[in-house]
Amino acid sequence: MDMQTVSKYEAMVKLDLPESERIWIAEKVSMLEDSFSKLSKVDTEGVEPLISVVTHDYSLREDIPVKLVSRDEILSNSPEQFDGYFLVPKTIE
Amino acid sequence: MDREFFVSKHDAKAENAFALDDNIMVRGGLTTAGSKMLHNFISPLQATVVDRLLAAGMELAGKTKLDEFAVPGISEGTCDILSGAVGAVAEGVCKVALCNDVSGKVRRQAPQNGLYYIHPTYGSVSRFGLIPAVSSMDQIGIVCKNIDDGFDTLGMIAGHDENDITTFPEKSYAYAPKEGKFRIGIPSNVLEEADEKSKELIYDFAGKHDAEETELKYFEVFSQVMYILSSAEIGNNTSRYDGVKFGYRADKFTGLNNLYTKTRTEGFGPDMKLLSVVGAYVLSKDNYEACYLKSMKIRRLIREHANELFSRFDAIILPIKLKDPDPYKNLALYAFATLCGLPSVSVPLGRNEGIQLVAQAKNENSLFGICKGGR
Amino acid sequence: MDYEIVMGLEVHVELATKSKLFCSCSAEFGAEANENVCPACAGMPGMLPLLNKKAVELGIRAGLVTNCEITRTITFDKKNYFYPDLPTGYQITQLYAPICRNGHVEIETEAGKKRIRIKQIHIEEDAGKLVHDYLPGSSLVDFNRASVPLVEIVSQPDFRSAEEVVAYLEKLRSLLTFADVSDCRMQEGSMRCDVNISVRKAGSDKLGVRTEIKNLNSLKAIVRAIEYEAERHITALETGCEELVQETRRWDENKGETYSMRDKEDATDYRYFPNPEILPVHISDEWISEIRNSLPELAHEKYERLTQSLGLSDYDSRLITSSRNISDIFDRTMEYVNNPKEVANWIIGDLASITKEENKAYDEIVIDCEKFGKIIKMVESKVINRTIGKKVLQLVFRDDIDPESYVRDNKLGMISDSGYLENIVKEVLSENEKSVSEFKAGNQKVIGFFMGQIMRKTQGKADPASVNSILMRELNNLR
Ligand SMILES: [Zn+2]
Repeated sequence: MDMQTVSKYEAMVKLDLPESERIWIAEKVSMLEDSFSKLSKVDTEGVEPLISVVTHDYSLREDIPVKLVSRDEILSNSPEQFDGYFLVPKTIE
Repeated sequence: MDREFFVSKHDAKAENAFALDDNIMVRGGLTTAGSKMLHNFISPLQATVVDRLLAAGMELAGKTKLDEFAVPGISEGTCDILSGAVGAVAEGVCKVALCNDVSGKVRRQAPQNGLYYIHPTYGSVSRFGLIPAVSSMDQIGIVCKNIDDGFDTLGMIAGHDENDITTFPEKSYAYAPKEGKFRIGIPSNVLEEADEKSKELIYDFAGKHDAEETELKYFEVFSQVMYILSSAEIGNNTSRYDGVKFGYRADKFTGLNNLYTKTRTEGFGPDMKLLSVVGAYVLSKDNYEACYLKSMKIRRLIREHANELFSRFDAIILPIKLKDPDPYKNLALYAFATLCGLPSVSVPLGRNEGIQLVAQAKNENSLFGICKGGR
Repeated sequence: MDYEIVMGLEVHVELATKSKLFCSCSAEFGAEANENVCPACAGMPGMLPLLNKKAVELGIRAGLVTNCEITRTITFDKKNYFYPDLPTGYQITQLYAPICRNGHVEIETEAGKKRIRIKQIHIEEDAGKLVHDYLPGSSLVDFNRASVPLVEIVSQPDFRSAEEVVAYLEKLRSLLTFADVSDCRMQEGSMRCDVNISVRKAGSDKLGVRTEIKNLNSLKAIVRAIEYEAERHITALETGCEELVQETRRWDENKGETYSMRDKEDATDYRYFPNPEILPVHISDEWISEIRNSLPELAHEKYERLTQSLGLSDYDSRLITSSRNISDIFDRTMEYVNNPKEVANWIIGDLASITKEENKAYDEIVIDCEKFGKIIKMVESKVINRTIGKKVLQLVFRDDIDPESYVRDNKLGMISDSGYLENIVKEVLSENEKSVSEFKAGNQKVIGFFMGQIMRKTQGKADPASVNSILMRELNNLR
C-alpha cells in the first residue's frame, strides 16, 4: 500500500501520523494485504456471514425511563465543559 | 516488586483476592484500558463480574496492566511484555486475575508462568463494564494457579446479566470436572507448524486419553479472519475516543478536525493506530466484500467445522506457540476458540511450557475434567 | 422547454417512547442540557445496547399504517463517522434488514389522488444537539437527544411537485400522530425531512443530476427550498452557467437559498457493518397482529365515525380529524358535553378563531377540556350567553381560569328579566331618535346598531333572544 492510500484511511479514522509511523504502517498493511489475499481461496459460495456466535432468544427492554447517573458524574470526565454542556471548537462558520 | 504488574493496588488477603485487568470497571475508580486515551477516565459504572465477586466475598487486590485496549498487537516486541494479570497471579499477590484475552497473549503466557488460563464460552460471562475491544469476541477469562480456584471463580461470575443480552439465559452455573475418558483431537496440520517441544507435550498429554489425529480446517486463514474482524470492531469501538467527552485531549489544536486528529494521534499507541487504519480499510466500500464480508462467512465455516469436530471429540488440543515467533501468525492458535466463542483452557506443563484445550460451547466441564486428569 | 421535477423524500420521525433506543435514559423533550444522559449515550465504553421493545413496536406500527411489509428478522448495523453530536463515533441504524419495506400512502392534491410508494422504514438513533451562538469560537454539545429512537421513512422518487410533497408530509403526520407513533412536531425537530431532487425535460425518462437538500424544518421551508432548487437546476440546464453535481445541500432560511455542504474529505464512506452487540430480533405473526389490533383510531376511521355515527358535516369532520390534537380535544370535551354538534361548533368556530388570534397552530393548542365542556354547558343551559362564553373560553385558553367561579365572581350570568330588558330597550330607542327614524324609513340595518347598544348597556350579559323579541316588538309599536 502506498503512502497516499494510507493517508486516505488515516483521515477516515481521524489520525494524522508522523512520517515514520506512516512508513511503518504502510509496511505492515502491505504485509497484511498480501496475507488477506489468501481468503479468496476459501469457497464461501452460499455461506451466510456469522455476526455473533450466540443465537439465543432474548427479551427486549421495557420502555421505562431510569436515571442511571447524575449529570455531574457524566460531565466530570470531560476535558472541557460549560454550563452543563460539553465544549468543542466551533463546528460551523 | 509486584507493583510493576499493577496500575493500582489495594490491601487484600492473597488467598481471597482477585485482580482485574485495567479494562474492567470499578465504580469511581480509574479505568485506563492501558491507553493514554483514558489516562484520567473515572468509571461511572461497575462491571457485573466485579459486583458478583464482591458479593461472593472476594476482595479486590488491584488493577493490572494490559496491552492497550487488550488488542491483538503485532508490532515488534509487544508480545514479550508480561501480562499484568499473569504476573500478579504468578507473584502470588492474588488467587485469580480477570482479563479479556482477545489477542491470545494470556493464553500463551499463563502456562509459561506455571498458570492456567480459563477462557469461558462467549455468552457465559457478562461483558457489562468491560471496555470493549472486539465485541463479537470479547470474553472475560480467569488466570489462576489452581484450576479448582479458577472454575470456582468462573462459577461466581458466569450467568445471565440483563445488561448484556449476549449472555445465555441460564442464571448461574456450577462447574464440576466431568469424569471418564476423553476423546482428544490432535490437529496434525497445526502441529506441523509447532516446535518440537510443543509437539512432544501434546502427544504426551493427549496420550493419556483417547487421542486421534485430525485436521483443523481453515487454520491457514485463521490469522487473517481474526485480524480483519478484530481491526474493524476495534476501530469502531475506539472511535468514541476523540477528546470531546472524556479521556485524553490534545493540548493545542486549531479547529474541530485538528482536535480529533491530534488527540487520536497522540493518544493511541502504534498497534491501535495500525488496527484503526486496517479497520477502515477492511470496512471501506472497496474492500468490504473481499475482506470483511468474506471473513464473516469464513467464520461461519469455521464454526460449522467446530461442530463437526466436537461431534467426534471432547476437546481439540493445540500448542500455545508456533515455531515462527511472528505474532501475526501466532494469532491463529487462539483464533479457534475466540472466533467460535468456544471455551478453552491453557494448561501449564513442564517448565514454562504448556498446551491449550478447546471444547464445544458450554462444555467447560469437559475441559475441567481433562485438567483433573480424567478417570 | 418544459421540465419535470422528480423528488424522493427521507422523513425522520422521532418515536414516542419514554426512554431512549438503547439505554434507559428519558427521551423527554426539553430537559436541561445533558440531563437525560448516561454513560452509554455519552459515548463512554462499558455499557451494551439494550434495544427498547416499544421502539420496535412503534416501528411496526409505522409500517402497518403505511401498508408496508414487516420484516420478520430485523438486524442493526453500525454507520461510522466523526461529528461532535455523535457520541460513539458511530450511529446504530438498519442497513441490511430494515423493519418495514414496500409500502405506500395515498395523497390528495388539487390534481386528484395519487399513490406514493415507500421503499423502506428503518429504525435508528438520533444524534445530540449542537448549540453555536452561546460562546464565541465554541460549539456546545448536548446529548439529551442522542440515541432517542427515530424511524426514517424512505419514499420512492414519486413526487412531481412541492404540493405533492406537502400533501404527503401532512398525510404522514396524520397517520403517525393518530397511531401514536410520534408527535411529528417539525418545530421541535421530531419530524424532519430531506428532499432528493432532480429535474428532467418533460417526457424524458432519463433522470437528471440529483441533489439532496437537508435541514428542512417547516413545510414553508420545504416548499421554498424545492422551488429554489428546481429553479437552480432548470437555470443550470438552460444556460449552462453552472454545472450540476450530485451533492448534499443545506437550506439557508434567511437567504432563501440552498448551499453546498463542503465536501468532508471522508464523508462518503460510512464503513457500515453488522452490529454484533444486537442479536437479530424475530418479529412473530402474533406480535404483529397484537399491534395491529391495538392500533388507535386513525384519522379516516374517525372521520367515518364523526360523519356516520355522530352526524357531523363533512367540513366539520375533516377539520376535526385534520389534527390529532384537535381530534383529542373533541373526544375529551365530548366526555363532559355529550353533544357532538355543539362541541364541533365551539371547536371550529370559537376555539379555532382564538387559536388564530393567539397565532398558534392546531397542534399546539393546549386547553383543559373539562373547563371547555363547562363553558359549553353554561351556554347551553343559558347560565351565560354565547358572547360571554367565548370571552370566558379565551381566558381559560390564556390563563386557565376556572369558568364557573369566574362567571360568578364577575356577575356574568345572563340577564333574561324581561321587565329590566324592556326598560333598557326603551332607553336605547329614546336616546337614538335619528336611528329610529331611519328604521321607520325602511332601514333594517339599524337593528344591529340597537342590539349593540343594548348589549353594551348590559355589559354583554343580556339574553340575545329576549332582547331581540323585545326590541322588535317595541320598534313595531313605534311604526
Ligand atoms: Zn443514556
